[in-house]
Amino acid sequence: MDKVVFETKDLSFRDTIHYQDIRIVKNKVNFIVGSSGTGKSTLLRMFNGTLSPSGGEIFYAGDNLLEKDTIELRKEVSLISQSVYLFDSSIRDNFIQFYEYRGLASPTDEMMLEFLKLSQIDFPLDKDCTTMSGGERQRVYIAIFLSFLPKVIMLDEPTSALDKDNGYNVIQNVVSFCKEKEITVIIISHDNSLTEAFGENIIRIGGMNNNG
Amino acid sequence: MDNIIKINIFQFSLIYLLLIIILLIMKHTKINQTRLLLVASLRMTVQLILAGLILTYIFKNPHPVFVIIYLLAMISFSVHRVLSKNKDINKKFKLSITLSLAFSGLFVLGYFVMAVVGESFFNPQYTIPLAGMIIGNSMTGVTLGMKTFTENLKNQRNKIEALLNLGVTPRKILLPMVNNALETALLPTMNNMLGMGIISLPGMMTGQILSGTAPTTAIMYQIAIMIAICTAVCLTVFCSLTLGYKTLYNNRNQIEI
Repeated sequence: MDKVVFETKDLSFRDTIHYQDIRIVKNKVNFIVGSSGTGKSTLLRMFNGTLSPSGGEIFYAGDNLLEKDTIELRKEVSLISQSVYLFDSSIRDNFIQFYEYRGLASPTDEMMLEFLKLSQIDFPLDKDCTTMSGGERQRVYIAIFLSFLPKVIMLDEPTSALDKDNGYNVIQNVVSFCKEKEITVIIISHDNSLTEAFGENIIRIGGMNNNG
Repeated sequence: MDNIIKINIFQFSLIYLLLIIILLIMKHTKINQTRLLLVASLRMTVQLILAGLILTYIFKNPHPVFVIIYLLAMISFSVHRVLSKNKDINKKFKLSITLSLAFSGLFVLGYFVMAVVGESFFNPQYTIPLAGMIIGNSMTGVTLGMKTFTENLKNQRNKIEALLNLGVTPRKILLPMVNNALETALLPTMNNMLGMGIISLPGMMTGQILSGTAPTTAIMYQIAIMIAICTAVCLTVFCSLTLGYKTLYNNRNQIEI
């Protein structure tokens, strides 16, 4: 039987969103789909503890999430949110600054380039992030988060600023990388073709929403 | 050595004629602030007349209670001014500002009056004017510091979110913004010290010289008050923000702005 990373029970948020019981399968590609306003992003934010549920429980690897230290949790369960943030400097400097915030020595140039390649970026490391397009910034952001090698990576609309081919390639690379490193993937996506191509566990939320 | 020229009321009222110059310039340049100028001049006049009357009474009948009431009124007014410009912050943050402003102001004031001047804290002639300068400047400092800090929070929402998601502690995320706000709040006071004596003869020193104090004594007071103001501003802003930023997150490391 597949191991479960996240499991929810009677989960609700602010009395407006009631979730069916959800299971996120370990080392698989989990897709969360559903129309907007059904609480997909909120769910991910509850998974990494940046939001607290109003009711119900979340279990992470069998333990109640409330017993977990939230900082350690977020290091293991990384959320790449829709709002991309990069420092106003070069790609290399962005790696350095994010690693400094995490209290880690920054990776080597080779490592940075490897992760950039994964997310389909072939700029030199000196490239200024302020002059990039939204899609390019999104991919640099994904590369940086991925390089921390979390146990679970959650991507909220990772291809929203990319064209179809680009989006497909990025997800393909990210998925095969995570397979290799045994990282559980959770993706929120509106793109049905991505869900069909990569989804191993597809969770549709909103259908059983009490509010309809 | 009593060489002060007491101004009589008629001569004094001549100064208001200068306002006509401002009014004419405003009319010519179509600056629509004539009302503000008149209201501000009037309010200042009334407020200062009241302060003058109250101070005259207190100086004639010195009593610790009067000093305490005057100080409390000053602190409450300055706290009110700061908080009215920061309505959106949480209650604990407001409390942090209130305590910091009161504590820092009174501490620096007490040190100045008792240790440097060597007078009783309840001598209204020293305590009240010095309190006005120290607390007033602290108020301006903390207003500027809070403005910078809340703007940083607003403009850096994405950054805060990204770093939280990466498992960075709220303390590590918010402290640089606290430090930046403190620096911004301190700069005007320090710049003011740089130009002092060359670009401007500062207000307190001018006042003392006009009222007959020897310039050498006046400069000592001026230097002392500038250092006192700088310390009070620094302490107030530092305490307000250091206590305050901790109210922005909970034990689940969730930041609520």
